[in-house]
Amino acid sequence: MKFDLTIALADRPGQLIRALEPIAKNGGNIVSIIHEREEPSAGLVPVSLVVDFPSALNLRRTVDELRRMGIGIIRAEEIIDTSRLTVILIGKMDLKRLANAGVENIRIVGFEVSNPASDDACLRVELEVPTASVEEALDAFKRIAEEEGALLLSPI
Amino acid sequence: MNIIVIGFGFIGRGVIEAFLRKAERIRRLDEDFRVVGVSDSRGYVYDSEGLDLKRLIGVDELSQYPSGYCRGGSAEDLIEMEGVDLMVEATPTNVVDGEPGLTFMRRALRRGIHVVTSNKGPLVVAFHELKSLAEEGGCQLLFEGTVAGAIPIFSLVRESLQGDEILRISGILNGTTNYILSRMHFEGTSFEIALKEAQERGITERDPSYDVDGIDAACKVVILANALMNRDVRFEDVERTGIRRVTQEAVSLAKRSNFAIKLVGTIDRRIEVAPKLVPINHPLCVHGTLNAVHIEADLAGEITLVGYGAGRETVSAVLNDVLTVLKSEAKKKG
Repeated sequence: MKFDLTIALADRPGQLIRALEPIAKNGGNIVSIIHEREEPSAGLVPVSLVVDFPSALNLRRTVDELRRMGIGIIRAEEIIDTSRLTVILIGKMDLKRLANAGVENIRIVGFEVSNPASDDACLRVELEVPTASVEEALDAFKRIAEEEGALLLSPI
Repeated sequence: MNIIVIGFGFIGRGVIEAFLRKAERIRRLDEDFRVVGVSDSRGYVYDSEGLDLKRLIGVDELSQYPSGYCRGGSAEDLIEMEGVDLMVEATPTNVVDGEPGLTFMRRALRRGIHVVTSNKGPLVVAFHELKSLAEEGGCQLLFEGTVAGAIPIFSLVRESLQGDEILRISGILNGTTNYILSRMHFEGTSFEIALKEAQERGITERDPSYDVDGIDAACKVVILANALMNRDVRFEDVERTGIRRVTQEAVSLAKRSNFAIKLVGTIDRRIEVAPKLVPINHPLCVHGTLNAVHIEADLAGEITLVGYGAGRETVSAVLNDVLTVLKSEAKKKG
């Protein structure tokens, strides 16, 4: 599992090396580091790491240790792989229902409508969906379309 | 080998014509290849010494064959004749109960007669039963012509992917709907006009529901799932949506985002036939009356086959199945 771990380090030599130790100890494999030295504020430099941990528990232990060491945690969250998904709906359809389909982290990034007022209304929606939830999202959209009397066209 | 051909329609006649055209190739495998009987819905002709194929394809009706038309005789009489080795079953498809083909196939397989067919009905209704009968009777049941016409999907998997597991199949399995959707995509015509054109060109029947409501494609999905993925799927198990509701606006919206709307049959987590968005650069995105089958296998990965799914091309599949039986029988004889 990949995590965005952004920490605040004191702008002094050796701080980064020190912070990496608990990550390694907890099984974290560092994918990338962005050290933003040009943006110090109050003597602290933000460092953004992408770390591959075996589980969320390893991340939590790392975060606890970093805090004990006096290192500030700006962000510690899972990075969710997203996929771009295009669907077309034929029939009257409330766009909000797709966004609130009960699948987490769905984002509508674009849409196009033709004949909005008629029964042949046609809606193309571009969505960002967590890659792991694509099937779940398509099932949910299909169910919603059926409830609304619309026809869902999903990609193969 | 002694062959009987059940059904003297488009496919039955086409197969007999192909036997004549490819006589030399056939004789190389079997010197004693003879068509001993042919039946239509009203009777049959039979000659244990072999019928005259030239004369057969010269007549409009089977009853005009110069000698021995048995009016009122049934295909079952032919199946019961002594010494029949192979039956080509080419009666019209009936997906409700598979008849009359299903009775003919059961009877032939029980007698140990090899069956080659292009008739979907019996396989949709009773695939696993017919397969078991063939195994018990020690004979072959081959049906390449039932799905996607001349596209050699079953032969490919049987001969060339013997160690693979087929994980997923998707396909454009109906030429009529692909013609209609292609016209809508390229010419901007409405569904109604494209359908009318298809009817005028003889691509679809007066009652087009078999094609446009996805019934034909669903039958093919059932056969593919049972034959290639060892599932136990019935027609009712296929979630089916046709293309009647696909509007010109939907086709244009899809086109603007580089998709084409196609009626796609899928065997996966879901077993369904429905209009789908196919990326225009995907190998499944074929147009006109073409069919395409895309398979995903555990070792071979993805393979796509493209070809014509109906009409004269189907004869190629039937002939190849007949030659497959002749070859394996020749091998047995050593």
